[in-house]
Amino acid sequence: MSRTVLERLERLPKRNLTVLALKGISTLVPGEWQNVTSADALIAEVLGSDDPQLIAQVRTRADVLSRARHEGYTRALSLYDAVNRSQRAGGGLRLAANLGAAVPLIKGLANLTPSTDTLQAADLALKVSAELLAFTQVNGLPGDSFGDFTASLASYAGEARVRMVALLCFDALLPLGDQALHRLNDLLGQVGSGELRQLPGYRAMAPLIPGRGEQAHLSFLRRGVDAWVDWAGGLVGTLGLSGQRAVQSLEGTLGPWQGRFEQLATFLDAFTDTYQHTGTQAVARRLVERAAAEI
Amino acid sequence: MNRLLRWGLALVVASGLLIGGLLLLPLSTWLPGGTVGDIPSAQVVNGSAFNRLFPVPGTGEQLVFTQEKRGFSQAKLSRGDDPLALLAIADTTTAPEARSKFNDAPALIKGWPLVDQGDQASALLVGGRFQVKVIGQGAGLDVTQRHELLAAFDLPGLAALPQPGGAKALAPSSDPA
Repeated sequence: MSRTVLERLERLPKRNLTVLALKGISTLVPGEWQNVTSADALIAEVLGSDDPQLIAQVRTRADVLSRARHEGYTRALSLYDAVNRSQRAGGGLRLAANLGAAVPLIKGLANLTPSTDTLQAADLALKVSAELLAFTQVNGLPGDSFGDFTASLASYAGEARVRMVALLCFDALLPLGDQALHRLNDLLGQVGSGELRQLPGYRAMAPLIPGRGEQAHLSFLRRGVDAWVDWAGGLVGTLGLSGQRAVQSLEGTLGPWQGRFEQLATFLDAFTDTYQHTGTQAVARRLVERAAAEI
Repeated sequence: MNRLLRWGLALVVASGLLIGGLLLLPLSTWLPGGTVGDIPSAQVVNGSAFNRLFPVPGTGEQLVFTQEKRGFSQAKLSRGDDPLALLAIADTTTAPEARSKFNDAPALIKGWPLVDQGDQASALLVGGRFQVKVIGQGAGLDVTQRHELLAAFDLPGLAALPQPGGAKALAPSSDPA
């Protein structure tokens, strides 16, 4: 039997590179970021009560809900897992290419890795779409109109502010530069079925993406990104985000960095799980909110 | 020979598992564990039926729907950036144990039994089946505010919803107040 959402939450690291990176990036967002890894504390916060009996009831209900396959909570987590695996594999490959350029014997590897910008854009599109798919898995289609739905999406993204800022900085601003959001459309235009198939995460996500075939999936990814870019642009504007500021905030927790921005992005891709980490926390919160209302 | 036999046996077992798995694949939606509490989803009222029964937000307040699943709908009430409360309607068909707390409910709202859970949660059981709940968020709400919010739901509309696979709708108890 696979783990329930709350068990996964409690197994998240309390202090490692991922947590430090998130702590660093959270200084760009007003308000304090807390690394929630205790299910009981999360339940007590949502419920506004420390009553151990109530907490135990919510927990039991949450486990029942996350074991029900049709409810989508665990499916959302497997989406995040797939994207995370893809990110790690891509990061590792680029890291190897960076190192390989210095070692004659494996120099050939550098030529094997595809042009990073396009692939990076495709990776970002995959992450944004995974976010959209995970949202519908976790929350259904809330409200009666499209307006209700977009309001719900915005509220969800607002809750997960740090998560979105991390996604923006680590996967857009650092690897693609400060003009990332403007370039994204062009870059995605260059992504073909071939590039898409090279992404390890795509294979895992493909059955969940609406439409049949790579072309249909590509157009879904592009539409998903189009909707997201406007919102993300607003966030970049209000918080004044840039690659420079992201690096500064990360230096606060990770230590000084002297390399190029995209090298930092590669390093973060290869060694941290920020997307999966914050994703698990976001899903757990929604699950607890529901369980608390159902006991 | 012995070795050949072992390989043959392994092949038979492996192919048997594969074929068995493939045969069961289209049935996966009916395998146990798909739905909450293994209750067929046709017997649970869909959450979209609950949306129009939520209270209308007051001036300066926003109501944003956050989750809608079979048997459940939830919305978040906030004022500006400050969260006020989580509002939810749930079909207790998948959680019958949630009903028992209403058996000795100390009070009624519009004739339906009312229970307070902890410091921030209040719940109503409407029609013997639907649980309406308000949970204070952020700075929190006091008891009277929560009860007012509960009363602002369209309770007669909720009690009148068709109840698939259930008994006839219960009428509210006569309220002395």
